[in-house]
Amino acid sequence: MADAAAEARTEETVVKPAGPPGVLRDRFVIRSNQSLPELSTPNAEAFSAEDKRDPNRALFALICRPELPPRVTMMRALKGVQSPGLCHLVEWGPMNWPPAGRQCMTVIYERPGGPRLMSSLKGEMRRVDEYDLTRKVIEPLASAVKELISRGITHRAIRPTNMFFMDGAGERIALGDCVTTPPAFDQPAVFETIEAGMANPVARGGGTYSDDLYSLGATMLFIMLGRNPVAHMDDATILRHKIQQGSYATLVGDERLPLPMIEVLKGLLCDDPDQRWDIESLDLWLQGRRLSPIQARVEKRGARGFPFQGHEYFNCRELAQAMARNWEAAIPPVLEGKVELWLRRAVEDKERAAAVAEVVRLAITTPTDKRVASDLMLCQVLILLDPTAPIRYKGFNAMPDGFGSALAAVVGRREDPRLIVEMILREVPKLWFEARKTYVPDNSLMEGNFRELKGYLSQSGMGFGLERCLYEMNDALPCQSPLVGEEYVVELRELLPALNSAAGKRSDPKQWPIDRHVAAFMGARARSDIDRNLTQLNEPEPARALMALINLFAVFQYRLGPETMPGLAGWIGGLITPVVHSFHSREKRRELEKEVPRLVRRGSVVEIYNLLENAEAKEKDSSEFAWAQAQYQAAEDEIKRVQSDEDEREKEADRIGKQTAAVTGIVIGLVSVTVVIILKVL
Amino acid sequence: MARKPAPPPAAKAAKKGAGPGTNKIVVLMVLAALVPFSLPTVTIVFFTMLPTLAAWASEKGSNKYAWLCVGGVNFAGVIPYLFTLWFGVHTLDEAFNMLSDGDVLLWAYGASAFGWLLYTGMPPMVAAWLKFTTEHRISALQAAQKKLIEEWGDEVAKKQG
Repeated sequence: MADAAAEARTEETVVKPAGPPGVLRDRFVIRSNQSLPELSTPNAEAFSAEDKRDPNRALFALICRPELPPRVTMMRALKGVQSPGLCHLVEWGPMNWPPAGRQCMTVIYERPGGPRLMSSLKGEMRRVDEYDLTRKVIEPLASAVKELISRGITHRAIRPTNMFFMDGAGERIALGDCVTTPPAFDQPAVFETIEAGMANPVARGGGTYSDDLYSLGATMLFIMLGRNPVAHMDDATILRHKIQQGSYATLVGDERLPLPMIEVLKGLLCDDPDQRWDIESLDLWLQGRRLSPIQARVEKRGARGFPFQGHEYFNCRELAQAMARNWEAAIPPVLEGKVELWLRRAVEDKERAAAVAEVVRLAITTPTDKRVASDLMLCQVLILLDPTAPIRYKGFNAMPDGFGSALAAVVGRREDPRLIVEMILREVPKLWFEARKTYVPDNSLMEGNFRELKGYLSQSGMGFGLERCLYEMNDALPCQSPLVGEEYVVELRELLPALNSAAGKRSDPKQWPIDRHVAAFMGARARSDIDRNLTQLNEPEPARALMALINLFAVFQYRLGPETMPGLAGWIGGLITPVVHSFHSREKRRELEKEVPRLVRRGSVVEIYNLLENAEAKEKDSSEFAWAQAQYQAAEDEIKRVQSDEDEREKEADRIGKQTAAVTGIVIGLVSVTVVIILKVL
Repeated sequence: MARKPAPPPAAKAAKKGAGPGTNKIVVLMVLAALVPFSLPTVTIVFFTMLPTLAAWASEKGSNKYAWLCVGGVNFAGVIPYLFTLWFGVHTLDEAFNMLSDGDVLLWAYGASAFGWLLYTGMPPMVAAWLKFTTEHRISALQAAQKKLIEEWGDEVAKKQG
């Protein structure tokens, strides 16, 4: 499958017409016209790379596909690690890649001295005998796995087509890239455990060291035989055979192997993760200690097969797998109780039959949507039939730790994410966790995370929803917002500078420097809980929402820098009208409008926030405005009162006029008397 | 049939003194007693103050101020002739002589006409004044409102919730 593409590639460096090179961290020049098909992986193209400081150093670069989430955590852990069994990861980082016209995650490796161990899984390679195998292959690879274990990471890409001879003499073998795609994404089913093989490639999850050891076992077999023993089978057939016969029997078949190799292969290819050899067992074997051989534990076989879709299935695991692949057809026989009956009578597993019966009974009696209840019922029954299998729901099969990469890929490919959303909202992973028989701390952690994700999904506002789940589940996923343009923003400290750069390129001056992706990215990456601020972003009142945004940006600028961001400050400065208008006083507004451009020139979102979020000034403005309103209203009432009292005023005027006339008449009379008296007396 | 006992004298006096009409009767009786001694004055006053009497009689309602206004001005027109009578020949003949002289009545009635003019002219003047002050007040309030709008915007006119 994935290797078919690699197979088609030529062995030589393909030189295309010269194009602009990519430059990573101002040091590594990646020649976009010198692709290296022999070093490419199924989902990352290889190009010739040069170290400016040491031009003689042989390097190559892998360019990640933008739609697939790379394993950034692994990149951090593996950078600079020098292990004989690992290709040396020299540098990694986002780089502006001219052929793609955008930033792409780029990984620089030391170029192997020799060719790929196996160019195609359908081809053949030179056989390595058991003595050389131990020295040249098992020891360095075991050492590499040990190195990975010591760093708390898994490789999940151990296969012969991802191994290189690091020297020209073919003496040293090392594992190739494992960081450019989600865990085990490029792995054919033959190198994956039955459980991981059942999961969708993008949703296999990081897995455990035991998964790497299983892949190592399968790889050892390939190298020892010099070919693919199951080349004639496709992935589905390989998986079916593994379920029916066990991995060892499927892969080894009738091959004759040296006794010591049988022991190690049986240990590494054991299908029971608890029984599978760990790294200590492999170490002991390498030191010559012989361990008790593992007896393959075969799934209990039913006395008669369960007929489903024209086939008969004899054990629970293969029946569950068949049902998971034919979801709609699987519901009726389960609801009709046929599975329970088969478990009770043919498999004679009364406990499991009773559990299935209970699940079916609950589904039938549930008052909620029958369709939903049936889907959940089948999911639960499949978990009961095969508890170690991935979470399987309506054709989507995922390990619990594979949901993140699956969602990232769905979003990256612009596919419909409804199924994953439905699984989280209906708490499908919870059914899987509840079925665990032993306590695993990681499971409790993941269960809690899924609960949180459900909470985010049930909130539709900016900063929540699917986007929040996307970033919560993928620690190293870059921000997918078109606002950050070509910038590859993985950490919160990179977000504001990216928005600052994007400020000059925006076409709509009214557009806010935030969208659902930026808000969700901030929510997921911020170390403190900023959900309250994110909720405020969704306030219907623009002034409040904008203040919440400025608050967030100010906090991040204060904590993470940079100190000056004129672009972003100008962007925000152009949007603050609603905030300025939240002040009632026209004088205050004029004052703010005069002050903000000065702060914009200084590039300080923090100071803009401090200017606008002045509680004392707001309080003063509010109280003075209330007083002004009261004054206005009092004047209004007075005017109305005066205007409405015209009749009364006329009466009043008449009364006062008459009284005045009367007083005037009396005064005239008195004055006349006085004047006459004075005249007579004088 | 038993006779109703007579009220005590003190009670009778108190009853007499208490009535407002009693005082008026006393005043009228005193004035009536003075009439024989000042008949010429009474004659002059009666004939010259007829417009005041007419003003008192013609006005209805509670605000009866016309007789005061007309009376005051009317009396101002009469008083010089009363003084002439009092300090001249205070006889009834002289009083009639004065009345027959057209000047006395002309001054008396002319003055009362002025009184009427004053009485009818004053209410519109007061109304006009009140209107002027009211409009001035409204303008002042509206100017204050405009200033508030300039300072706080149109939302200041919205009623507080």
